Amino acid sequence: MAARYETALIRLIIIALLFGAWEFAPRADLVNARLLPPASEVFTVFFGLIQDPGFHGHLATTLQQTLTAFLIAVPVGALLGILIAENRFAGEVFKPLVFFVFSIPKSIFLPMFILAFGISFWQKVAFGVFSTIFIVMMTAFAAVASVRSDHIRVARSYGANLRQIIARVYLPSMTPVLLEAVRLAMIFNFTGILLAEMYASRAGVGNLIGTWGRGFQIPQIMAGIVTVAGLSILFNELVRWFERRCEHWRGDR
Amino acid sequence: MRLDATTVRRLLIVLLIVAWEVLPQAGLVPRLFLPPVSATVAALWGSAPEYAYHLWVTLQEVAISMLFACVGGVAAGLVIGNSVRLRQLLLPLASAGFAIPLVILYPLFTAWFGIGPESKIVFASVYGFLPTLLGTAAGVQTIDRHLVTVARSLGASRFQQITRVFLPAAIPTVLSSLRIGGALVIVGVTVAEMLTSTAGIGFLISRYRTLLDSPHVFAAILLVLAMAIAFDWLVQLIERRVAGWQRAIRTEQAPAAAYS
Repeated sequence: MAARYETALIRLIIIALLFGAWEFAPRADLVNARLLPPASEVFTVFFGLIQDPGFHGHLATTLQQTLTAFLIAVPVGALLGILIAENRFAGEVFKPLVFFVFSIPKSIFLPMFILAFGISFWQKVAFGVFSTIFIVMMTAFAAVASVRSDHIRVARSYGANLRQIIARVYLPSMTPVLLEAVRLAMIFNFTGILLAEMYASRAGVGNLIGTWGRGFQIPQIMAGIVTVAGLSILFNELVRWFERRCEHWRGDR
Repeated sequence: MRLDATTVRRLLIVLLIVAWEVLPQAGLVPRLFLPPVSATVAALWGSAPEYAYHLWVTLQEVAISMLFACVGGVAAGLVIGNSVRLRQLLLPLASAGFAIPLVILYPLFTAWFGIGPESKIVFASVYGFLPTLLGTAAGVQTIDRHLVTVARSLGASRFQQITRVFLPAAIPTVLSSLRIGGALVIVGVTVAEMLTSTAGIGFLISRYRTLLDSPHVFAAILLVLAMAIAFDWLVQLIERRVAGWQRAIRTEQAPAAAYS
């Protein structure tokens, strides 16, 4: 236990040193303060931003798009993935295709979404779903593969019905892999939505950061980056914490 | 006669390509959204010199970024993956960093390095770096520790341990991380070009989109796809050759191990 705290402490020290360097280097004129404003200045802008109602509107737009795309991509992707993986023939036909589509870059199709849907809420959501659904399907394949057939056979021979098999065998085996799907889906989704906003939009955090970039407003850009990075790390660690709790619960049985 | 899976898959692909030609021709899908294959190929052929010039710009940027992202990522991954202490300290930080949507860094890079190739190279290098590092570091841990122990007990020096045992054992891992990192570098360069630039395939995609010339947009998209697929094939080819070479060593060494 002591070693674990020590590691966490050293990690904190590394992070503190990084922020210290960020504050000190521009102040000591080691780097141009116009290009890299000191940490304190960026965080002043950041605290101004998170109290600014105008910024709340942009943030709400981005989060609404991200969540809508997430709520479509994860269930649809997981369901399609499970259906494909559960049927041998469908698996043989579709799995290589999904692997292929997964491996090609999807950002380059963004202009087609604008040509099809215009610059709108649903264009961003559609692009978010498109950039996420394949990774969810791939993870669902892995989830199905993680269910052991002898567990199902045992359950069946003890007379479990389909509902019981799904609730008692499938879900517990698949949960950790599906949680991983949720985590990756959120990363891909957020990236897709922000890219779509930076590329062409009227509102949203991506739109703001793009505008600041063209206006050379570096403290604002960096405050925007801090906001987005903070949100994504927070969500990521939340899912990971939940994953670890599930592992404990699985281990106890 | 029952069709086997491969045939069904090939039929599906042919069907998709036919649909891509027929649906827009018949007016079932707006041509603005999906130009027919023939129109796309015609656009690619008609503006071949323009595409070739911009493809060359993109390829140069990709090559330089790959050098930074892959060499840096593999080196850092080998160092971190090899030390228990560094792994405990840094891997959680690196995987937390992986969760950040890196696209938002690009406006900062254009403000720092201008809209020329430099900002693309920096962005794509950063974009490919972390996954390469994480992949390499994870793979290094799976190397059989006994190999190193055996080499050490047979009196191999530290240098020999690294060059003769460790590096050959790490090659498959390194290659598979290169595959991921390299693909991300290609995406990174194209996306950066799409956002702000004056040349490159991504620039063409964005310019033709604002002109609403979808056959030319699609032609450029096809070129990027071809680039990504060609890179993937190249790494797979190397992977297969290396794998064969590794097996050869193992079978050669097996009798020697039995004698010693």
